[in-house]
Amino acid sequence: MSCVSALFAALVAGPAAAESLPVLVPLTGFLSLEGTSQRNGAVLAVKEAPASLSVTAEVVDTGTSPEAAATALERALSRGTPPAVAASMLGTQMLAMLPLAQDYKVPLVTVSGTASITERGNPWVFRFFPGDAVTKSAHARYVVEELHKTRPALIYQTTAYGQSGKAHLEPAFATLGAPLVFAEGVDPAAKDLLPVLTKALEAKPDVLVLHLHSAPTALMVRTAAAAGVSLPIVAGSAMHQPSTAALLEPAELKGVCAETAASPVSGGTPAMEAFTAAYRAAFNAEPDAFAVGQYDGMRMVLDAMGKGAKTPEQVRAALASGTYEGLAMTYRSDGTGNMAHSAAIVCYDGASRVPAVVKRYDGAVNGAVK
Amino acid sequence: MLAQLVLNGAALGAAYALVALGFVLVLNAAGAVNFAHGDLVMAGGMLGAVLGPMAADAVGPVPGAVLLPLVLLLMAGLGVLVAAVAYLPLRRKPPVAVFVTTIAVGIMLQNGANTLLGGEPRAAPPLLSGGTVTLWGGVTAPEQSLAVIAAAAVLIALQVWVFGHTHTGRRLRAAAQDPDMARACGIPVTRMVLATFAIGSAYAGAAGLLLANQYFVTPHAGGDLILKAYIAVTVGGWGSVPGAVLGALLIAGFEVGVSAALSYPVAQGALYLTLLLMLVLRPQGLLGEAARRRA
Repeated sequence: MSCVSALFAALVAGPAAAESLPVLVPLTGFLSLEGTSQRNGAVLAVKEAPASLSVTAEVVDTGTSPEAAATALERALSRGTPPAVAASMLGTQMLAMLPLAQDYKVPLVTVSGTASITERGNPWVFRFFPGDAVTKSAHARYVVEELHKTRPALIYQTTAYGQSGKAHLEPAFATLGAPLVFAEGVDPAAKDLLPVLTKALEAKPDVLVLHLHSAPTALMVRTAAAAGVSLPIVAGSAMHQPSTAALLEPAELKGVCAETAASPVSGGTPAMEAFTAAYRAAFNAEPDAFAVGQYDGMRMVLDAMGKGAKTPEQVRAALASGTYEGLAMTYRSDGTGNMAHSAAIVCYDGASRVPAVVKRYDGAVNGAVK
Repeated sequence: MLAQLVLNGAALGAAYALVALGFVLVLNAAGAVNFAHGDLVMAGGMLGAVLGPMAADAVGPVPGAVLLPLVLLLMAGLGVLVAAVAYLPLRRKPPVAVFVTTIAVGIMLQNGANTLLGGEPRAAPPLLSGGTVTLWGGVTAPEQSLAVIAAAAVLIALQVWVFGHTHTGRRLRAAAQDPDMARACGIPVTRMVLATFAIGSAYAGAAGLLLANQYFVTPHAGGDLILKAYIAVTVGGWGSVPGAVLGALLIAGFEVGVSAALSYPVAQGALYLTLLLMLVLRPQGLLGEAARRRA
C-alpha cells in the first residue's frame, strides 16, 4: 500500500524540478575578463554535475557596481533558496552581498581576492582562491630562495588589487632579508611604462617584481624586452592568464615567471588536462586560475549535494568542515572561509606562450606558505 | 634612454592629438560634447585587432598601414550612425539630451565589444613591421613610434587643409558656426553634420588603431581616452584645432616626462593641477579666444 501511495505521490508531483544554482558574476565592466573566467568555471562544473543531481546554472551579469550585485542576489534569492550561489570575484560586490547571504542563510562560493571578505565573521562565505597573504609569500620566497635575488624592485598597480599586493610583498621581502630597493605605483590607464622602468633600473635591482593587471603586465614585459633588460621578471597572477601571454611574442617572455593559484594550460595531471580540454570545447577559450578555482568551488558544493546536503545550511556545514581534492589543490576551510592555501610559480621558456609550473608552495600556515 | 623617452612622448602625443582632433571637430559641428568619442577610439582599436588576424588568416600578416584605410571607412560609417541615432533627433533639444545619448552610445559600444569579442586585452598589428631603426647618435627607435608620428602628422595636416583650404571645408565650418544662415545659403546642414561625425569618428578610429598596437585595447579603454581628449581641448582652448593638438602633446609630456622625473601619481596630480590653474587663470585655454561679454 505504501508503495502505491509513493508512486501516486510521485506521479502527482511529476519529475523533480532542476535545482538552480545562481552564478552572479561581472560579465561587463572592467572585470569582465576575469568574471567571464569565473562564470565559465561555475557553468562547466554544473554541466559536469553527477548524474544523480538535477542542477542548472542561472547566470546573471552583476556589472561592477555593489548595488547591481546586491540586487542580483536579492532577486535570485527571492525566487527560492538555492543550496549555494557562485558570487562575484569583485571585492566591493562581495562586501555588498555578504549581509544578504547572512540574512537569507545561503553560502556564497567565490574566487574574490579581497582579504576582508573572510575577516568579517560571516559564516556564509567561502573563497576558493588563495589570498595575497598566500600568493605573495610564495612570490617573495621564489625570488629570494630559488632565484637568490636580494635587490627586488617592485612596480605595482595603484588600484586596490595593487595596493594589497604591495602591502604583502613589502614585509615578505623584508622578512626574507631582501628589502625592496624600489617601489612605485602605476595607474592602470598609464600608456607608457618606460619612465617607471627607467627609474626602477636606476635603483640597481637584480630582479623586477610586478603586481599589475593583465594589459599593464604585458606592456611592462614588452617594454623591458624592447629596452634590452636582462633582469628576471617575476610577475603577479595576471601574467599566467593566457590572454596576457597572447599579447606578447614568446621571445619577449623569456625569463618571465609569475605567481598563481594554478595554471590549467600547463597541464600536469590527467584531471587538469581533461578540464582544460572540456573548457576549450565549451567556451572556445583558454582557462585560467580563476576558472579552475570557481570550478573547484562549485564541484565541492555539488559533491556535498551528491552526498545528501539538500539545504543551504547543510551545504555550508559541508564546506566549512570538509576537505575537497580539487584540480588546483586540496581545499579546506581555515575557519573563516578561506579554502585555498597553496600557490604555484610558473615560468616561460622563451619558446612558447604556455608556462611550466616550476614550484609549488602548499599548505599555508597563518597566511604564509610553508 | 632620454631620447627614447622623448620619442615615446611624441608618439603618444601624436595619437592623443588624433583623439582630441576628432573630439573637437564634432564639438565644433554639433555644439555638444560627444561622450562616446573615447569608445569610438576603442572601437577603432578593436577593429584593427580583429581585422589584423582575419587578414593574416586569409593572406598572411598584413601591416596596420594597409588596414588603416578600411578602419577609417568603417569608423566613418559608425560615426554617421552615431549622429543619426544620438544627435540629429535631439539637435533642437537642450545640450544635456545629447550628452546623455552619447553616453548611452558609449556604453553600448563598450558592452557590444565586450559581448562580441570578450574582455581580454587585444593588440592591433603594427603600422609597418614592428622592428627598430637606428637614428642619428646611435639612438634606436621603434619603427612603430616613428610610423605613429608620421601617420598622425599626415592626418592632422589633412584635416587642417580640408577645413582651411577647400570648398567642402568652408561649407562644413559654415554649417557648424551658424546652421540657420548656412541653410539659408543653400548648404545642406544635415549632410554637413553627418560628414563631420564621419570624419571625427574616422580620426577616432585612426587613433585607436595607432594606440592599440603599442598599448593594447580593451572594451573599457574609452573612458580614460575621453577624459584625456576633454583635458586636451580645455587646455588648448575649446574649439581650437591647434589648441587640441597642443593640449594632447602636453598631456603626453606630463605622462612621460613628469612621470620619468618624479612618479606617475605625481604626474597625474600635476596634470590636474595645471588644468585647474588654466581654468582659473586662462579659462579660454592656451590658444582659445577670450569670450567677449556683449551689453
